[in-house]
Amino acid sequence: MDTKISKLVVTLSVIGIISAIALSFVYQWTTPFIEKHQLEARKQAVRSVLPEAEEFQEKIINGITFFEGFDSSQKRIGVAMIAKGPGYQNIIEVMIGVNLEKDYIFGIDVLSHEETPGLGARITGQQYRKNYQNKPFGDYNVVKRTPQNDLEVEAISGATISSRSVAKIVQDAVKKINEAYGGGV
Amino acid sequence: MLKKIYKDFKNGLWKENPIIVLVIGMCPTLAVTNTVENGLAMGIATSFVLISSEIVISLFKKLIPNNVRIPSFILIIATFVTFTDYFLKAFFPDIAASLSLFIPLIVVNCLILGRQEAFASKNPTSRAIADALGMGIGFTWVLVLLSAVRELFGMGSIFGIGILGSWYEPMVIMVLPAGAFLSLGILVGIMNMIKRRGN
Repeated sequence: MDTKISKLVVTLSVIGIISAIALSFVYQWTTPFIEKHQLEARKQAVRSVLPEAEEFQEKIINGITFFEGFDSSQKRIGVAMIAKGPGYQNIIEVMIGVNLEKDYIFGIDVLSHEETPGLGARITGQQYRKNYQNKPFGDYNVVKRTPQNDLEVEAISGATISSRSVAKIVQDAVKKINEAYGGGV
Repeated sequence: MLKKIYKDFKNGLWKENPIIVLVIGMCPTLAVTNTVENGLAMGIATSFVLISSEIVISLFKKLIPNNVRIPSFILIIATFVTFTDYFLKAFFPDIAASLSLFIPLIVVNCLILGRQEAFASKNPTSRAIADALGMGIGFTWVLVLLSAVRELFGMGSIFGIGILGSWYEPMVIMVLPAGAFLSLGILVGIMNMIKRRGN
């Protein structure tokens, strides 16, 4: 136990330096792949909420990144954004695509969530997401029956909190898009 | 010597299995065994880190002063874990996304640090490799078994392929944390019963 303090310092420093050098090579090697996957995933999500768009452009307004979708004749057909909000267990991330001319939502896609598997996790399912297809802007009402007007959203049975959370996230996102691109709700 | 190596290898598979006998490394065992894919990926990732760090540490054990052995081990383990993390994110993004936080957490898996302290820092490299392989495979097979049971009862599928038909009403609790405790407890109980009968 009488090892000199300098030896301890040198040992730890040497290990640290070797690790750092090795990892910087690994980082350099893997980063292009990781970035490619992230870009791919984001494009996929934009495409799922702006189905008719051929090309995308990122635009930052008020500190929020928007994805503008253009059709083949370079006409802007819609805008998408990633919105986050609290869910039942953790933050839910939703991609929302809207038509600005006619003020309705094309559709939504849940990018990440930690809701209860089998219950709240069904917010990613087609049946729940269909609620938001071609939905007009407004304040949404989450109901536990078949929706009777355009502003009602049908809750997932057993997961009312998750259903409400997503409705709230969508509602807030629409407001943010309107603020950035003008026009009232 | 060869006999000793074989004994070290076999040790982790059954007699001193990290999960059912030593009961170490419980965090990933309970957290990520909700599907077979996750369980298998976690088992392989942990085994890779365990094997590489046992090799490195048993090679350099004489150069590492006793007073700083724990921080040195942690540094070496963390290097391999970071490598695994980048590697999975780059080439298996789906698995990386579903394991997310639990890959970096391999650093503090006591199975890995425990084996360095108890084995790699005291034995020659050849025996350390055998021990790491045995422990790694032992860890992996229990994770796979546990996740198969949980996925089958919790979702009616294995590897995401539906096994039980639509008549089966999934027991959601099995894929929730509580299901992990229940199935692990029952598994350890069964293993102990088999063991007692063997003696």
